[in-house]
Amino acid sequence: MRLIYRYALAVRLSHWLWVVAFAVLVSSGLQIFNASPNLDASDKSNPARRVLAIGAPADGVGTTTILGRTFVTTGWLGWTDDGMGSRDARAFPGWLTVPGYRDLAGGRRWHFFFAWIAALCWLAWLATAAFKGNLRDMILRPSDVPKLWPMQAYYLKLRKEPPPHGTYNPLQKAAYTSVLFVIAPFVVLTGLALSPGIDAIANPLTVLLGGRQFARLWHFAGMLALLAFFAIHTFQVATQGVFNQMRSMITGWYRVGEHDGVGP
Amino acid sequence: MKRRIFLASSVSALVAGCGPIGNALNDNAAVKRALASVEGLNHALIGTRGLAREYRDGDVDRDFRVNGFSTPSDSNYTTLAAGNFTAFRLIADGGVERRRAFSLAELYALPQQTQITRHDCVEGWSAIGKWSGVRLADFLDTVRPRGDARYVVFHCLDNDGAGNLYYESLDMHQARHPQALLALRLNDAPLDPAHGAPVRLRLPTQLGYKSAKWIGRIEVVGSFATIYGGHGGYWEDQGYEWYAGI
Repeated sequence: MRLIYRYALAVRLSHWLWVVAFAVLVSSGLQIFNASPNLDASDKSNPARRVLAIGAPADGVGTTTILGRTFVTTGWLGWTDDGMGSRDARAFPGWLTVPGYRDLAGGRRWHFFFAWIAALCWLAWLATAAFKGNLRDMILRPSDVPKLWPMQAYYLKLRKEPPPHGTYNPLQKAAYTSVLFVIAPFVVLTGLALSPGIDAIANPLTVLLGGRQFARLWHFAGMLALLAFFAIHTFQVATQGVFNQMRSMITGWYRVGEHDGVGP
Repeated sequence: MKRRIFLASSVSALVAGCGPIGNALNDNAAVKRALASVEGLNHALIGTRGLAREYRDGDVDRDFRVNGFSTPSDSNYTTLAAGNFTAFRLIADGGVERRRAFSLAELYALPQQTQITRHDCVEGWSAIGKWSGVRLADFLDTVRPRGDARYVVFHCLDNDGAGNLYYESLDMHQARHPQALLALRLNDAPLDPAHGAPVRLRLPTQLGYKSAKWIGRIEVVGSFATIYGGHGGYWEDQGYEWYAGI
């Protein structure tokens, strides 16, 4: 057992800034979504192409309609916590939104501010990683693809040894490459396409995404993809020695040869 | 295991605490100002450039969704509407060389422009309408803003019921955008009261709340700091961004 210096300050700082920014962006995004709780696969709003609709058809009843199938979701979606200690017609509950009560203008303020934080943080991280040469170790290459299943097999205990790899294993590379270089830029672009000012400058972007409401749908889908990453990531941290993992992301120091989940 | 219990209870305490803390931060004036600081950045970077996409006749929503509050309740307005707006005058004043009051017929006599553009509401929905009327740039050329003019303020003929008059403002650059329109017609018919009769603004490069309805007076000013709430618009006074290009 020994301690190794695993994460540089820039990595730790950007990691935790992203955690804060992501939490605010999701919760303020849901606040913004609540102002018009529908997603259409179209340019202008079009009920005939509605993919998701959350509503309250009557007082005390919340429903969620996905591709034409309606589910009663009272208490969770549609008719739920209004952020002021009672229940009302609200798509996402107040305990999931920033602020808790209905405030579109407030939600937009939080969203745009932390969108800048997340984007600048990404640029700073990218510049640092490129400068230090760490990017090379992180990006998934075609030669890594055949190693993806053996690595998964190792995690599933179907294989005794992991395939040979560098600093990051092929699955980590796949996760980081897709989140940092595919999903995050996608979420930024789909968000920008919602801006009428940017649409006037770069209409082909909106057209490419299928139109303005479609961009809103993609933006929401991108958030779900990031949430899925977040869920898997926290599950892995929780099951791979949570204290060691947390310590290394806070102090930089990681204890090798220990995965029992019990602290020092 | 104790550490895990500690960790789990800290996480749940954090989640439970987030709501009140988030609300308190959201209400805090200094936090509000700090968060709103990126509006200047967005305005500088995106601004009012390019042209909003123009659609075809077939794309138009015949039943155009009504945004904001539907029909004015102000008694002066309802009197005007009952008289089919024959008594209506659009006043142009403030920092202009030619202060004038325009009748509807006089507005129709100015060069007319038609655009089929998408209206993006801040709430998240959008609709496409065919708008006709006078280009704001042409209108401004008629009344000639003076050299020190910086903003065009649109005073509306209705209030929110609590006595706050609707109004909006654009800077000269936004006001002279080729698609900034003083709309008189929607989908080949005169505007109805719900859609802003007799004159409303159409500004497809920004969100719908900038497109003020029921305009009764257009005032050219050097600053809007002393007008109503001082933020340049009714919705801006409620906390929305003055620059609504995003």
